[in-house]
Amino acid sequence: MSSPALHRRRALRLAAAATATVLGVTLLAACGSDGDKSASASDAGSDGKPVSITFWGWAKGTKDVVQAFNASHPNIQVTFEEIPSGNAGGYAKISNAVKAGNAPDIFNVEYPQLPDFVSQGAVQDISKLVSADLKGKYLPQSMELTTLGGSTWALPLDASPQALYYRKDLFEKAGVAVPKTWDEFKGAAAKLKAADANTRIATFFPDDPSTFEAMVWQAGAKWFGTSGDSWKVDMAGAETKKVADYWQGLITDDLIRVQPSFSQQWTASLQKGETAAYLGAAWGGGVLKSTLGTDPSENGKWAVAPMPSWDGQPASGMLGGTTFAVSKDSKKAKAAVEFATWATTTPEGIQARIASGSSSAYPADPELVPVAKAAFKTEFYGGQDIYAVYQDAAKAIKPNWAWGPTMGATNSSMKDAFGKIGQGTTVPSAVDTAQQATLAELKNRGLKVAG
Amino acid sequence: MSGTTPVPGGGTSAAARGGSAAAAGARRRRAPFGAPAVLLAPFLVLFTACTLIPIGYAVYLSLFSERRSGLGFGGTTTQVFTGIGNYTRALGDAAFRDGFWNTAQYCLLYIPLMLGLSLAVALLLDSALARAKRFFQLALFLPHAVPGIIAALVWTYLYTPGISPVVDALNSAGAQVDVFGHPLPAIVNIAVWEWTGYNMVIFYAALQAIPREVLEAAVVDGAGPLRTAFSVKIPLIRASVVMVGLFTVIGSLQLFTEPMILHDVAPGVVSTWTPNMYSYAAAFERNDYGLAAASSVLLALAAAALSVVVTRFTRDRGEKRTSKPARQRAEKRTETAR
Repeated sequence: MSSPALHRRRALRLAAAATATVLGVTLLAACGSDGDKSASASDAGSDGKPVSITFWGWAKGTKDVVQAFNASHPNIQVTFEEIPSGNAGGYAKISNAVKAGNAPDIFNVEYPQLPDFVSQGAVQDISKLVSADLKGKYLPQSMELTTLGGSTWALPLDASPQALYYRKDLFEKAGVAVPKTWDEFKGAAAKLKAADANTRIATFFPDDPSTFEAMVWQAGAKWFGTSGDSWKVDMAGAETKKVADYWQGLITDDLIRVQPSFSQQWTASLQKGETAAYLGAAWGGGVLKSTLGTDPSENGKWAVAPMPSWDGQPASGMLGGTTFAVSKDSKKAKAAVEFATWATTTPEGIQARIASGSSSAYPADPELVPVAKAAFKTEFYGGQDIYAVYQDAAKAIKPNWAWGPTMGATNSSMKDAFGKIGQGTTVPSAVDTAQQATLAELKNRGLKVAG
Repeated sequence: MSGTTPVPGGGTSAAARGGSAAAAGARRRRAPFGAPAVLLAPFLVLFTACTLIPIGYAVYLSLFSERRSGLGFGGTTTQVFTGIGNYTRALGDAAFRDGFWNTAQYCLLYIPLMLGLSLAVALLLDSALARAKRFFQLALFLPHAVPGIIAALVWTYLYTPGISPVVDALNSAGAQVDVFGHPLPAIVNIAVWEWTGYNMVIFYAALQAIPREVLEAAVVDGAGPLRTAFSVKIPLIRASVVMVGLFTVIGSLQLFTEPMILHDVAPGVVSTWTPNMYSYAAAFERNDYGLAAASSVLLALAAAALSVVVTRFTRDRGEKRTSKPARQRAEKRTETAR
């Protein structure tokens, strides 16, 4: 029963099956490997023709910024393409494009992911194009996060101090004061639940570790550091443990909702008043407004308060926050940096973004905060001066935090572990898993780890 | 072309016959690659360009890892040959192994369910009692016409608590359903919805091809509809069932779209829920192309091994059945000899 014909057929079948599976990944990896590198000859615009640069981003209000820039800059024309937010696939899209050689000239990347992009070699060193004068304009904490290994890799758009958004009416009905400490927050959560069994105070996002990371930063932990040429990773310190235990406690006691960030479920539960608050950052004000503000009856229900802290003193981490980075192969870095400078440090750039109505970014250039404040329409927050809250929080951002070069691996392992919470996984064990994954990834990339 | 070319003008002379046979033989010997080569060339070119080269590239990628210097910022990046390093890394990763375990559970739940359902529906449609056959065929096939991504999105909407009318209705009726807490049945459900109708059409076509005399003979012998279905129809369309089973097993290993869509809303569907998703996450979330290539090659090998096992298993059983009487006769003979 083993004629050569049958052998051949079996071999063919094997080959066909192997083909089908491998094809999937290789096609993805192989597509578009020779990008449009020839189109970059006309850099600098010295020949009088306008330089045209491409830009990928997703920050709210970006379209308006690009329009305003193009209208006022005849020598540089920016082509903007809106991509999904980083966490929702935008980062995958960018790194693929860089790998394939057809990346845009400039793109948005958040602070936590910037070191990963730099380490992958996807980002250009723009130190020579950024003057000391320009650097001095930005909030030092923001500049710290875009300066890696002594070079400047990106220009920060916003600082993203944390803020607590809450439903005034629901808090009043339950007789709950705005919590100042995390102990009070837990008490408030229990009261809200007691007032209405369907109501929870806020949401733990299992799909987005950045909120948890901001909480850890706020508590004073430092996950990443360097000594000489080695990385130091400390995700098991006392502060981290305190924060992880706290959130696990809220989840175990069913005092907090566990839902994906910015999902339809999340939106629905906010609309129904089943979730009374949102633990966000400055930019979240615009997101919340554009998500819920389409219904005029929501206007005036929401308010902003400082994030609760451990000791009642103002303290903040940074949750996300956007920067402009120039891609590795771009030959138009000068024009790209000019656009990024305009978008982040001029009143016109900030004005255009905030006036779009959907952004409440807190400018990384503190001088422009009044511009942003004047441009933001606050009827959704009942006329509250939300930028005053952000401003105090920005002053309380804990310094010296650094992001590691493997946040892609760190976050995806933490995300997957958070996803299994309630099925044998806890917040502390998820953090532990992420630490192991981080160390393994550092080693895999050939980077040294101290201690 | 054969050796019996008729000679014009009547009868074929022996000489002519021998001569033309020799000529044909010579043609065959002289150009062994002529026509086949021309006819196979387009296939071979495409096969090489679209299959062999990409596979070769994946295998090549899987043997290398990127290493960086210093803190990893702006230093040099070098491609290091790591041999089977990426393979051991993938196999040593519990997430990758979990992916296979999830797929195995999915197969165990999905394949019997879907095969049973589509076979049952096909037999019902084939039975003499069925009414409105055309309508049911079309209605049942329709879900397959919906692209997988759209289907997954529609089902995601139906699964999401707080949005789905179905989940809300069940909840208000007192049944606390948590679909996202149990992603496996949720994904199996989408797949069953998508594929039952399609495979039903295959089975139905096979059933229609059964000679009517056989079925009449069964009726004459006194077999009822059930007996006819189980003892006559199903054995006769066995080849189709095996083929559908094989395709389904291979398809299950490539499970990607549905869990990927659910991953966005159900954190329980982790980013490495199936081996395919593991490769995707390695390539596009962690930018580890070596690991992604190694894990996809491993997946391909698993698929190949599985298809060999499935075909071998089903064929052996077929052979046993046909040779059973012979074996019985042989046994009887040895018994009498003893």
